[in-house]
Amino acid sequence: MEALRNALDFSDFPRTDLVVAAVVAAVLVAFPLMPYSSFAMATMIQFLMFSIYGMGWNTIGGYGGQVDLGKAQYVGIGAYTTAVMLIRWDVPFWVSMPVGMALAVGWSFVIGYPLFKLKGHYFAIATIATSLVIKDLFEVWDFVGAARGLHISPVKYPPPDFLRLIFKEDVYYYYFLLGFFFLGILIINWFRHSRLGFQLRAIRDNEDLARSLGINVHWAKIKTYALATAFVSAVGSFHAVYIKNIEPEDTMSLDISVLIALMAMLGGAGSLWGPIIGAGILIPLKSYLKEWLGAKAGLIGIDLILYAVIIMLVSAVEPKGIWGLLDRLRRAKRSR
Amino acid sequence: MALDVLVASLVAGLLIGMVLALVALGLTIIFGVMDIVNFAHGEFLMVGMYTGLLVAQGARMEPLLTLPLAAMVGFVLGWLCYFLFVKFLLRGPMVAQLLGTFGLMLFLRNLALLFFGSEDRAIHHGLLVGKSISLGMGVSVPATKLAAAFLAVSAFAAVWLLINRTKVGKALQATALNAQGARYMGIPTDRMNGLAWGIGGATVTIAGALLVNFWAVNPYVGLLFTMLAFTIVALGGFGSVPGAFLAGLVVGLITEIPGIWDSLSLALDWRWMMDVPMTSFKYTWVYLAYFIIMLARPKGLFGWKR
Repeated sequence: MEALRNALDFSDFPRTDLVVAAVVAAVLVAFPLMPYSSFAMATMIQFLMFSIYGMGWNTIGGYGGQVDLGKAQYVGIGAYTTAVMLIRWDVPFWVSMPVGMALAVGWSFVIGYPLFKLKGHYFAIATIATSLVIKDLFEVWDFVGAARGLHISPVKYPPPDFLRLIFKEDVYYYYFLLGFFFLGILIINWFRHSRLGFQLRAIRDNEDLARSLGINVHWAKIKTYALATAFVSAVGSFHAVYIKNIEPEDTMSLDISVLIALMAMLGGAGSLWGPIIGAGILIPLKSYLKEWLGAKAGLIGIDLILYAVIIMLVSAVEPKGIWGLLDRLRRAKRSR
Repeated sequence: MALDVLVASLVAGLLIGMVLALVALGLTIIFGVMDIVNFAHGEFLMVGMYTGLLVAQGARMEPLLTLPLAAMVGFVLGWLCYFLFVKFLLRGPMVAQLLGTFGLMLFLRNLALLFFGSEDRAIHHGLLVGKSISLGMGVSVPATKLAAAFLAVSAFAAVWLLINRTKVGKALQATALNAQGARYMGIPTDRMNGLAWGIGGATVTIAGALLVNFWAVNPYVGLLFTMLAFTIVALGGFGSVPGAFLAGLVVGLITEIPGIWDSLSLALDWRWMMDVPMTSFKYTWVYLAYFIIMLARPKGLFGWKR
């Protein structure tokens, strides 16, 4: 009951924020009712996916200040669990998603335990190393299709198939993900108010002080890491049924891990709306830049160049992200 | 029969290890001086590889003569990166530093993709190409690798002398030990940071120009070397120059273990060994090594800082 009350408690935000959030939520719900191109729809789904990834990353990376650059391995575990279970044993999505989450969370405990003994740069590089080991393993493991990957054939499972979550129209995927998106916001909102959330912010601000106050720093980090993993792996499962082609390269590459961290960073790490703002700006920018400059003008890589410039500017000029910028503007206005 | 495979692999591992030590040198210097991890390090190497390749092919020049030019390109690149970009990162939190150099990595990689395309390219001409030197016991090594190892060690020694035997080097060390104290003593720490990036860039581009003689280059080649360099630096101790050299040799040997396994399983005709072809896990061992070293001894073998 307490948890539910915390999840629904948005009272610490100013009223204008909540109005804006409500308008955005209404637009998101109404989006498929307006005329849209399939490209716009795909972009919106990407936006929702990366918002949820970012929310997960934000718990450990934003609130906890632990720079995790290995989230892609959990995208992969989620995606592969769902795909393998569907293809080999015809297990529906609704069963395989929790199984994938359990596997990912289990794995996150196994590697989280040693990982969180490291700090700072050492931790960040170690997360990359574990992710690359997993990717290497999946690239030679025949059971999961090795480097060829797995393919979920929509012919074999005629859409619409609500049990296996295989549809022809993207709208269904969109609404499914949107539901998960709202649920994610509530969970993160609960996390913000929870004991764990406060412990983690204390750890970020001063780890030694947090320890001296009796917080079990190591265990708090591991628990939060598991929560972040659950988010990421659930969307990974969704990725499997939505994209239908799963290869180690596009589920587990370092680029995915970085992208996840980047969304949250750009929007504002350690704030509820940060990852959503970040994904809302970066994903459309990325896909439209790719469409206009990459595909149409034939300049391969130019979208990622501009993208890299944005990363560099944000990290050099305003490391707190857009949310930090807004916060600063607001404070300047109030003091005037 | 099996012995020559072992010796050949060990020699190959040591030779590549010497080049890898040079790759890691810049990373460890930069880390030692200002506590920042450069994720774009492998991309600097790629720039060196392309410099060596394009100059050698464009001017029909002996590939090994492109080294001074590669060093210059690397120095300027590192210097510019520091003063135009990294300088501003230093004010921010660690998250910003990590993602900032990550941005640099993406930037350089995709710039290379835009200019050079994604295909593999390699040098096929030069004095040493196709020649090999016999070491006895039926073991012979390609001359390009031998020359690369020799020149890498020379460059490494030169940088070590620069740091330990010159006034500038002493100032660099002072900045690394205590930047604020160094500033009070009148050392321009900002310029020292820039110099560290310059030296870091120059050493790694030299390594790149050496590597491209026997290693194909494409815009994505950087990540592997970044991870190799991280492992070497972790093993040798963040900031330790002699540590980087020894650790380079060790990591070079680690990358050859899977090859030894596979050749032995072929030579001895042991079925159970052949069922696990290790060569596809070539670099997995390096990542695992990083993980294990960090857990066992976070300071590294020769760590002196913290």
